[in-house]
Amino acid sequence: MSQVRLSKDQIQKVALTLVGFVILIYVYFSFFLGPLNRSRNAMLATIADKQSKLDSSQENLAKTAKLEQQAKAATGRFAAFKALSPEGAPIAWFPPRMKSFFANQQIDKATARLENSVAFKQPELANWMKYVWLIDIPQADYGRLGKAIAELENLEPLLAITKLSIRFSGEQPEFQQVVLSATTVIPKQ
Amino acid sequence: MALHLNLLHEQISEQRQRQRDPLKIGVMILVGIGALLFLYYGWNAYRTLAIKAKLSAIERDWSKVEPKVTAAEKRSAELNGIVKTTAVLDDYIEHRFFWGPFLEKLARCVAPNIQLTSVEGNVFEDKGVIVTIEGVAAAREPRSAAEDLRQMLSEQLSQGGYADVKVEFKALDDLDTIANVGGQSVAMAHYILSVTFQPEAAKGTPTQPRTPKR
Repeated sequence: MSQVRLSKDQIQKVALTLVGFVILIYVYFSFFLGPLNRSRNAMLATIADKQSKLDSSQENLAKTAKLEQQAKAATGRFAAFKALSPEGAPIAWFPPRMKSFFANQQIDKATARLENSVAFKQPELANWMKYVWLIDIPQADYGRLGKAIAELENLEPLLAITKLSIRFSGEQPEFQQVVLSATTVIPKQ
Repeated sequence: MALHLNLLHEQISEQRQRQRDPLKIGVMILVGIGALLFLYYGWNAYRTLAIKAKLSAIERDWSKVEPKVTAAEKRSAELNGIVKTTAVLDDYIEHRFFWGPFLEKLARCVAPNIQLTSVEGNVFEDKGVIVTIEGVAAAREPRSAAEDLRQMLSEQLSQGGYADVKVEFKALDDLDTIANVGGQSVAMAHYILSVTFQPEAAKGTPTQPRTPKR
């Protein structure tokens, strides 16, 4: 068996070849195959994401259609609640509305003034405000007042009377002085 | 045996030397490996291109569906919000205290010899309803007439469906004044009644919200 003896020059050339090999491998993986694989993996991830979105999209569309059917009553009620409050600042329309309401009930001189307004803490009512009104009725017959209050409570579902004061009017015993504190729930303007 | 003379010995030796050049062999090996790596890269690039084409197709499909899905998600969120808000508002409406039925019950309890001078009512979320009724009673036994009012009111409210009904005298005093009831002069008493109850057991009849005339 003949033994290959390398000269110094040949050893240098072998070493140079090895260096070249290392550089080739480094360049290949760092600048060619690596980025290509990364790009492919990213695309595969995007495909998986988009595919899952596509798969769930039909389900979501069906769910929304179903929810639309189920929420029909709620949306109707919601629209009705909103329709109870006209456009504009409540202080502009609520006092005249109360005045005309009590006038229709044959109770004159009713006045309403805003005591305060606060936002709700519940996140569901983030777009609604609570207004507290003082309704002053200087002269009312008890029976007529009772009917008017019952009618008001039924006509205005978002109105709640929290305080009631009926006082005997000294000069005309058949009439009472009435002060109501009413809370209304009104959409934010 | 014939004698062979190799006159090209030096040239052949040089040629063999050139063929055994490690750099040349190394370069050839590197070129071979490079070619293999290039082929492998090409195969990978081909697969990547196929994936890219698939991605493009999916993105095209998604771009067609996306506006509908986004709109559906938005509508779904809106509907959920409406349902929750309506539920809270319904709860608010259902838990209101209706003064109409209470005033009717109170009116039923007032006999001709009883007069109310003041009714003060408050609705508290935690304590329920507290009403203070002040007035005068006129009878031979005016305290007894006031007690009749107290008992009747307690009975009416309990039967009316309110819970934890308590009707108590805060004050009951004889008055010096004499009243004329049915042509008879009778004594009078001043009373203050404290009425407390929980409205939960009794509900009014809330109607569907009506759209107001504008």
